Amino acid sequence: MKPDLRNNRDFIAGLLFAVIGALAVALAHDYPMGTTMRMGPGYFPTALGAILFLFGLYVLARGIRSAERVKGTWGARALALTALSILLFGFLLDRAGMVPAIVVTTLVAAAAGREFRLKEVLLLAVVLSVFSAAVFSYGLKLPYPLVGGY
Amino acid sequence: MRPPFICRVLALMLSACAASSALAQAPYPAKPIRFIVGFPPGGTNDIVARVLAPKVSEYLGQQLVVENRGGANTAIASEMFVRTPPDGYTIMLNAPGYATNPSLLKLNFDSIRDFAFITLAAESQNLLVVHPSFPPRSVKELIAFSKKHPGDINYGSSGIGTTVHLSAELFQYMTGTKWVHVAYKGGGPGLVALLSGEVSLYFGNVPTVIRQARAGKLRAIATTGAKRTPAAPDIPTVAEAGVPGYEVSTFYGVSAPAKTPRPIVDRLHAEFVRALNAPDIRERLQGLGADPVGNTPEQYTAFMQNEIAKWAKVIKAAGIKGE
Amino acid sequence: MELFTNLAYGFGVAFSLQNLAYCFAGVALGTLIGVLPGVGPLVTIAMLFPITFHLPAVPAIIMLAGIFYGAQYGGSTTSILVNLPGETASAVTCIDGYQMARQGRAGPALATAALASFFAGCVGTLLIALAGPTIGEWALKFGAAEYSSLMLMALVASAVMTQGDAVKGLAMVVLGLIIGVIGIDVNSGMARYSFGVPELIDGIGFTVVAVGLFAVAEIVANLESREPREVYTGKVTGLMPTARDLRDAAWPAARGTVVGAGFGVLPGTGPALSSFATYMLEKKLARDPSRFGRGAIEGVAAPEAANNAAAQTAFIPMLTLGIPASATMALMLGALTLQGIAAGPQVMVDKPDLFWGLIASMWIGNFLLVVLNLPLVGLWVKLLTVPYRWLFPSIIVFCCIGNYSVNNNPFDVYLCAAIGVLGYLLVKLECEPAPLLLGYVLGPLLEENLRRALLLSRGDPTVFLTRPISLAFMIATVLIFIIMVVPTVRAPRRPA
Repeated sequence: MKPDLRNNRDFIAGLLFAVIGALAVALAHDYPMGTTMRMGPGYFPTALGAILFLFGLYVLARGIRSAERVKGTWGARALALTALSILLFGFLLDRAGMVPAIVVTTLVAAAAGREFRLKEVLLLAVVLSVFSAAVFSYGLKLPYPLVGGY
Repeated sequence: MRPPFICRVLALMLSACAASSALAQAPYPAKPIRFIVGFPPGGTNDIVARVLAPKVSEYLGQQLVVENRGGANTAIASEMFVRTPPDGYTIMLNAPGYATNPSLLKLNFDSIRDFAFITLAAESQNLLVVHPSFPPRSVKELIAFSKKHPGDINYGSSGIGTTVHLSAELFQYMTGTKWVHVAYKGGGPGLVALLSGEVSLYFGNVPTVIRQARAGKLRAIATTGAKRTPAAPDIPTVAEAGVPGYEVSTFYGVSAPAKTPRPIVDRLHAEFVRALNAPDIRERLQGLGADPVGNTPEQYTAFMQNEIAKWAKVIKAAGIKGE
Repeated sequence: MELFTNLAYGFGVAFSLQNLAYCFAGVALGTLIGVLPGVGPLVTIAMLFPITFHLPAVPAIIMLAGIFYGAQYGGSTTSILVNLPGETASAVTCIDGYQMARQGRAGPALATAALASFFAGCVGTLLIALAGPTIGEWALKFGAAEYSSLMLMALVASAVMTQGDAVKGLAMVVLGLIIGVIGIDVNSGMARYSFGVPELIDGIGFTVVAVGLFAVAEIVANLESREPREVYTGKVTGLMPTARDLRDAAWPAARGTVVGAGFGVLPGTGPALSSFATYMLEKKLARDPSRFGRGAIEGVAAPEAANNAAAQTAFIPMLTLGIPASATMALMLGALTLQGIAAGPQVMVDKPDLFWGLIASMWIGNFLLVVLNLPLVGLWVKLLTVPYRWLFPSIIVFCCIGNYSVNNNPFDVYLCAAIGVLGYLLVKLECEPAPLLLGYVLGPLLEENLRRALLLSRGDPTVFLTRPISLAFMIATVLIFIIMVVPTVRAPRRPA
């Protein structure tokens, strides 16, 4: 039976570690290494990257042998929408103000959930906006524009 | 069912737009002004801004709101700052990082042309202190001792590129001495290292180290400014004590984005100078080790050009590389 | 005895109506902002800074101090309830605290956190009173070599953090170490792994990493499954800890206090390190270590005690030596300076009302905090009954605001999203986030001090063994290593 690598837990984990480790070493090749007793800025990152790479290979090989599957499913939709909601917040706060950012983020984040009831979500957005405005802007006097960008 | 809510949101946004265009017609300042500080809260730079802000707010009749945008020794804040509209509603507190960044980092803005300099609000100096077990007691003795032990003496700093570090680099550059630099993350750890004797020398900022010096835990040698500091009039400057022409000062200056209308610059200048002359502000700034200045925009601009050029030379000679 | 007269004097100062009022205001505000991620004592004290100009020194510093240690009480609340660290030092509390909440034991967790914090706060205050200057001087004995050995010891012990797979756990520590490298290298001034992005020059912030790794990843994991997943069991067994809970929590809290008090005095070690250290210690000492990570009350009591003790003893370097151990302390020092008070060796003599009044108010503040927080436990537990579909967008919004508020930069928010994705990936692959966080905290400290120690000794490695404190840590490191490896060799480690 051909091992299903796409869902092989340790294979992917090992691959992730190995790739990051290799990247760490590659990106650090320009940094001066120095000697063990007089380490340069490149010593530590290179050593760490190499260690991670080796760990990665070990976990990867072990994964192929044990073929443990990833439990559950990959929640791609939930992940994408959650990440998007956070990104949108960062994008909108400076440009459109805190309140629009909160509203949009709440809407998109709620869409990542299993049920989406528009009325409830809008109400939640309003509640969060009012609460945040009260606590952060009026209470703590953080200088964030409520509506409209800087 | 849903329309009422959406209508409310739209109405809110429309009225905000209307309000802001109405504000543009009102006399300056018609709304709060953002006072950008290029460091996270807690540094002396930040504290100076928070000391000045309430007073200037009082004179302007509008709130000056301190906004911290830390990162890359003011470079991130500056990058954002030069893109704000030059309407007088955003100003920034400049710090020495400003003068050293052009030589250390690749910047997306011009450190002189993208700014309309308002005034040099205050200056402070560093104080060269040494651990009590370290033999030299004066600048001349220090130079002689250093020449006898090249590469043997450890000096501390609060980070590469800080005035603490660069004061020492300038000293070595001008006197031909060679010390070993041990960098720390910030003033606290650096001071601890000096107190414990881990390093022998430190160019610390005046208020922090003067207390320890007066208590006998450290020995003060000289100050780095052009003139003696009022906080310690009994301590000579490095220039007086053996290195003529030596000067390092930490400056706190105020600027606006370039193309800010001249009347607004003048108004801000007038109010800042007025605040700097207020006795309670003077007292607070001096408590922080900062001597109020308050010069003209032209003088400040010239000063900045000078600083950038001076530090470019020192940084190059010391071989300090940034990004 | 002199100590009693001093304390009596201090209580006299602290019990004035004005000082009591400011103490209460400080701790109440501190608790509130501690709950919110990202927004912490630093930002709050900065905001209140101008107010201190118009207050006399004693109430001003009492209030600011109250905000500082009060935040540690509040920080554990969201850690336990929704796996979201409200304060950096509360990150470790997430590990077991959140699991307890999911098992319906949020009440006991919150109450234990408050009680452990109170105990630690009292002891910490007592330590300052009894031996403040002595402890301060002791902290000066810690040089680069000592810090390196200490960090090395913590690194070797970090394998204890992993619950399951030892190899993946260690890999996560290394990954954390690498993430910690991002930014400017202290010893050379060189920017590493910053890809020319200015925001990365100062590295990735702790808030961003902790929030992304813990809170965001957890939310996505809860949302992913198509069948409704019961996030919190409906069965809540009780609001207060049982007698058994208190008995189990007592010694860990005591040990946590000692560890936290020790770490708090060392400038630059940061608050999270003490909580990690006690957690690892408790896990190692426990009869059944596999309970940790599944809702062991020791895993809440010890870190909470540690972070509160550290918050108290952090005042020692500031008060007795005039050295700020962190940016927040620097702000308080600034506030004192502006009041004309020179914090340092003479402050005990020159301004006894400030010194002893502050110490007395710390005790009062801790008491007020436990009085404030215990009744709130019921309220917080009620919050968990809110349908998850309302709860999780709220968490995300507060995460976003919190991350943004660190540097007022949207980049931190974007970064949090990226780390959240990575965090979810790692959770799916059954790689634990806690070891990564530990590596991230340890790495910079270890490298910085190791290189500095070698620089100071001009390349001589024996410095780690010739200095007594450093030697002690090195011996401990070897012992820990042996303790960990030997059982593994004899009986293969069974994944828990």
